[in-house]
Amino acid sequence: MQLSLVMHDWRLLERIVGLTNRLGCAYTNLNVHAGESHYHATIDFVGPPDALRRLDAQLTRLLNDDKEMSR
Amino acid sequence: MPESADATGAQLVLDVLTDEGVEVVFGYPGGAIMPLYDAMVNHPLEHILTRHEAAAAFAAGGYARSTGRVGVCMATSGPGATNLVTGILDAQMDSIPIVAITGQVRTALMGTDGFQEADVTSIMGPVTKRSVCVRDVRDLERILRAAFRVARGPRPGPVLVDIPTDILKARCPRMDHFAARPLAATSERPDDAALDDAIALLRTAKKPVAIVGGGARSANAVHLFRELVAMLDIPHTATINGLGCAAPGDPKFLGMLGMHGWKAANLAVNEADVVLALGMRFDDRVTGKPDKFARNAQIIHADVDASEFGKIIPVKVALRGDLRVTLTHLVRRLADAQLPQFGAWADAAKALGGPLPADRAPNGELSATDVLDAFFAVAPDDTIVATDVGQHQMWAAQRQRAIHPRNFITSAGLGSMGFGLPAAIGAVMAHRDRTVVAVCGDGGFQMSIAELATLRRYELPVKILLIDNHRLGMVRQWQELFYDKRYSHTDLSDNPDFVAIAGGYGITAERVEDAGELRDALERFVRAKGPALLHCACFPAENVWPLIPPGATVHDAMEASPEPEPAVA
Repeated sequence: MQLSLVMHDWRLLERIVGLTNRLGCAYTNLNVHAGESHYHATIDFVGPPDALRRLDAQLTRLLNDDKEMSR
Repeated sequence: MPESADATGAQLVLDVLTDEGVEVVFGYPGGAIMPLYDAMVNHPLEHILTRHEAAAAFAAGGYARSTGRVGVCMATSGPGATNLVTGILDAQMDSIPIVAITGQVRTALMGTDGFQEADVTSIMGPVTKRSVCVRDVRDLERILRAAFRVARGPRPGPVLVDIPTDILKARCPRMDHFAARPLAATSERPDDAALDDAIALLRTAKKPVAIVGGGARSANAVHLFRELVAMLDIPHTATINGLGCAAPGDPKFLGMLGMHGWKAANLAVNEADVVLALGMRFDDRVTGKPDKFARNAQIIHADVDASEFGKIIPVKVALRGDLRVTLTHLVRRLADAQLPQFGAWADAAKALGGPLPADRAPNGELSATDVLDAFFAVAPDDTIVATDVGQHQMWAAQRQRAIHPRNFITSAGLGSMGFGLPAAIGAVMAHRDRTVVAVCGDGGFQMSIAELATLRRYELPVKILLIDNHRLGMVRQWQELFYDKRYSHTDLSDNPDFVAIAGGYGITAERVEDAGELRDALERFVRAKGPALLHCACFPAENVWPLIPPGATVHDAMEASPEPEPAVA
């Protein structure tokens, strides 16, 4: 599963890595580029389909809060 | 609010808290947060000094749980901040809005292992919605405002703001334009197709059951839940976090669901062909063995958080959105829908269970269940009960009669011992005119016993109903049932004299150990004007029934010990 994520706080990567591990998944590729006001990450995740689905949903929640915190 | 004369970061924090409607904060001072405490001198914001930072976090949670408003706690850097962790995770698990503010060593010292330095934002990351360190005083107001927005929702939870000492001391403009910025996307509604699917499923149902969780309370949707189940005339149950959401005295309410839930509730869900799950997350204490939970049912799951759908139980229809909006639409559509009559099923569901099973006390001794039955009989209807964690929590949850969704406060998801008394302190700060009772066991009470000093100092009229069975009772019960009665470190028979301890703090206390004295003692306790403690010395071998063993199903529910302890037989 590849996700393109927009982060306003780059430290979110720490949460993403922790969450990935907690759900029994891993990542095989991670690219981060700094923009003017945010960071763009492309991450390839591997893991059981159910866990990847949960990971995707939880990352969405995490990124929504990150977006709200940046306003 | 317009800009005015400049202020320090610390003054700005207090201005923002005031402007966000915060009436009280719970905290404990220390070195790095001293500038903030200095700014509090002569400031109108009320501060409650707890005797441990953990209690400050629990108290902020209790305040938030009892009001729906954001609870605020504060602590200094390092150990002060780490002592908040459990209370913050507790709020995260139960979706309770709190903002925690921690002092941090000055910016230049960060990363040097300075005195009382800890990487608090990293420590707090997994236990909060967001955890942020303020590095520039110009960001302080924006971050604090955002912290309140994020804490409030759409799914509430804790946010941590870590502020280095130099930022608290720095000068900055006093308030700016962030104040009026509303929360984004708070009223998301489920899509029409999903609503159609839900209605269609209900139309074909023969044995529907509704389950309500804490999400209904968070979304201020309890009245809509009550309207919905009344309109459908269906049996309904609640998770422990959903207790108080059912209409008082509703005969179709089956009681609490789950491991220690009422038999009728568990059996009805097991027989249901459609389950309408509203603002709940299928905790393992509710589902037991997931593949056997509601195995005949198709699930309609309504929640604000999409990550909950299918997390534990497969869902037929997912209604994602603000539960208040979802229920508004459901009620509106169902009013025009041709639906079967479910009244006969509701009556049958109620008849699936009987009274709660309970162990009998040896002659003349007190049983905890008798104490709680008698307590709920004499307590005023609008009593706020905050429990600690363990057997007494389950006995209270089974028996509670909350008429309001915020009257039963408990650490449900995390199960944090030590929660009860500080949570009651938080609740009483918002409800000085109400009876607020902390129902505690002897284990958990001793984790927060120093908060008796907080009651005394502020004359907080919290009543402590202490269920003392001289054991870490829930663990003891499991050791009895699942570990061949090998009782490892659960004996508290050398408990201290709790009445004397309360007396030392200047708190009225009484001990009762004779069943014949119970009623009068409870009357005196409930009517006491200030803080009070009633120490109920109960027999130690009492178990919580029913019990669905972990990973089992409702059909495996136990209602008595296979080999009762001699004192119980």
